[in-house]
Amino acid sequence: MRILIIEDDREAANYIRKGLRESGHVVDHAADGEEGLGMARAAEYDVLVVDRMLPKMDGLKVIETLRGEEHRTPVLVLSALGEVDHRVEGLKAGGDDYLVKPYAFAELLARVEALARRRDPEAVRTRLVVGDLEMDLLARTVSRSGDEIILQPREFRLLEFLMKHSGQVVTRTMLLEKVWDYHFDPQTNVIDVHISRLRTKIDKPFAKTMLHTVRGAGYRLQA
Amino acid sequence: MSEQLRRGGLAFLRTTAFRQTLLSAALFAFSSLLILAFVYAFSVGASVRRADAAVLEEIEAVQARLRAGGVEAANRYVLQRTTAGAGDYLYLLVHPAGRRMSGNLSALPAVQPDGEGRIEFQYGRPVADGAETGSDTRRARGRVIELPGGHRLLVGVDVEEEERLVARLLNAVLFASGLALALGVAAGALVSRRFVRRLDTINAVARDVKAGDLKHRAPRNYSGDELDELSANFNAMLDRVEQLMARMKTVGDSIAHDLRSPLTRMRNRLESALREEGGLKAREAALNQAVSDADELLGVFNAVLSISRIEAGERREVLQEMDPAPVTADLAELYDPVCEEAGVDFSYEAEAGAKILGDRGLLSQALANLLDNAVKYTPKGGAVALRLRTRASGEVEISVTDTGPGVPEADRARITQRFVRLEQSRTQPGSGLGLSLVQAVADLHDARLELSDGPGVVDGRGPGLRAALVFAKMK
Repeated sequence: MRILIIEDDREAANYIRKGLRESGHVVDHAADGEEGLGMARAAEYDVLVVDRMLPKMDGLKVIETLRGEEHRTPVLVLSALGEVDHRVEGLKAGGDDYLVKPYAFAELLARVEALARRRDPEAVRTRLVVGDLEMDLLARTVSRSGDEIILQPREFRLLEFLMKHSGQVVTRTMLLEKVWDYHFDPQTNVIDVHISRLRTKIDKPFAKTMLHTVRGAGYRLQA
Repeated sequence: MSEQLRRGGLAFLRTTAFRQTLLSAALFAFSSLLILAFVYAFSVGASVRRADAAVLEEIEAVQARLRAGGVEAANRYVLQRTTAGAGDYLYLLVHPAGRRMSGNLSALPAVQPDGEGRIEFQYGRPVADGAETGSDTRRARGRVIELPGGHRLLVGVDVEEEERLVARLLNAVLFASGLALALGVAAGALVSRRFVRRLDTINAVARDVKAGDLKHRAPRNYSGDELDELSANFNAMLDRVEQLMARMKTVGDSIAHDLRSPLTRMRNRLESALREEGGLKAREAALNQAVSDADELLGVFNAVLSISRIEAGERREVLQEMDPAPVTADLAELYDPVCEEAGVDFSYEAEAGAKILGDRGLLSQALANLLDNAVKYTPKGGAVALRLRTRASGEVEISVTDTGPGVPEADRARITQRFVRLEQSRTQPGSGLGLSLVQAVADLHDARLELSDGPGVVDGRGPGLRAALVFAKMK
């Protein structure tokens, strides 16, 4: 993937750039809003990572300008401002996801990759297939190797999210945000418990494990 | 300049009180002058106008004689007027050659009359036979006209009394104004000196506090005046500052305590990882552990930040009318498996139709904290219950009850403070911020956080803790 980072903090930018490159992505960097806007206009990127507070031009302004010019590139907003209102502001300006500093790199990587995936047309998908696991979004049914699996509504949504991001790492925070719509981290590892429940239903009866734990990051559903 | 004034004891000159007094004294003096002007216009002014009119009448009378019988008749009239006791009227008829013909003045005054013949002059008091004595000089006003044939006639009125009256009035008012001004300045100085002295004591306290002694308080006289009120507010402010400082110190100590251990742990792990003790595997484990230590630290920071923001009331405007049931249902669904995993029975009950003014995110976070605590402190085989109900009073109550060891009554008020952790919970992971956040969320919602015993002691365990958020009945 080709990724543009617009971030004025050199150290933070280098840290992200190094990590993303190690994960096999091509990364460009702009140190202020104006430069970033110019670079985003000039080249095709798969994802933009934009810091909210930038010199010369505010991060949200950059995103608004791009969206006003029909640029559809997904944007991950980085910010030290973590309140819900700020998050809403960031998403309203045209950001696709919002990550509060400080964050773990695994969290950023997972979100960047999830965003890139979103560009694929998925709006009309009524059926998700990962290996022998199948999900019918209309009938709300799940089966693996042809055996039907009964899921609770929340388990269904959890699996749906994992299947839509199959092959990618999804973090606990992402799951809390996207599946439960909670923007805080409970102390107890509630997500682990729900994942292990889901595991007993979709993995345990079968020979091959699909739902993996990625240490220090989160989970990955893999065929 | 200001230091000089202060040293010279003249600081009161710059006080508001002194300036106010001075201003009102000046206003008083000015209004006295204004009154004088009115009195003059209405009394003295009027009598002068009356005198002028009388003079014109007399001149008219002399001219009538003149027209009827010539200069002789006019002369006779004047003679007659001056000998028969003309009162305050003054006359003089002068021959074209300059010779005095008749009247009670000896000669025309040296003063030149104005264009219409009006004249103000001085004369000696005339005696009965018409001669002017010249010893007693008095003021008069009148008119000089030239008669046909070159004779000149002066008719005047004595205004000495009026003039004296004006002078006396003027003196009285000026004296009174001056006195008022002087008294005002003196009173202002006196009041201001007292004012400055009292302010100085307050300033002295402020300086002491600034120098680091928070124990000082401004003296009060309980008169309820502005300075007393200032002292009271000042003292209340100092109390608050002292309280906050104490809390800051507690928070500081607690942060030091709670952050130092994970930081030290992390440092040790990284150090041993650097030394490559136990090979690659151990190194990786150490690094992973260091990352989760860092996450723990970030968690503490985030919790402190959220509590501060909630306490600052930034989000009060986001509260809206809502049914809390979907919120509790989501949480029940989230925590049911967690309890099951922990070997704890979980039950959930919710009455429909409750209405509160709330925010889903914050409520969820607060209740998640209560549920986290309940799960954490309830031993295997215990029970956790989440319950939503409307009290008979109309208040809405969301409670989390567990069968853990509970919290001694004496500690209940304390545990909602930041970083406060009871001795027995030191061994458990946690930042001591969970209940502070719940309290902050409750405050934002104008709700109460009620802590009480749970179901009681059963089989030597308990009594459990019941934490309830109680929301006011919606209007």
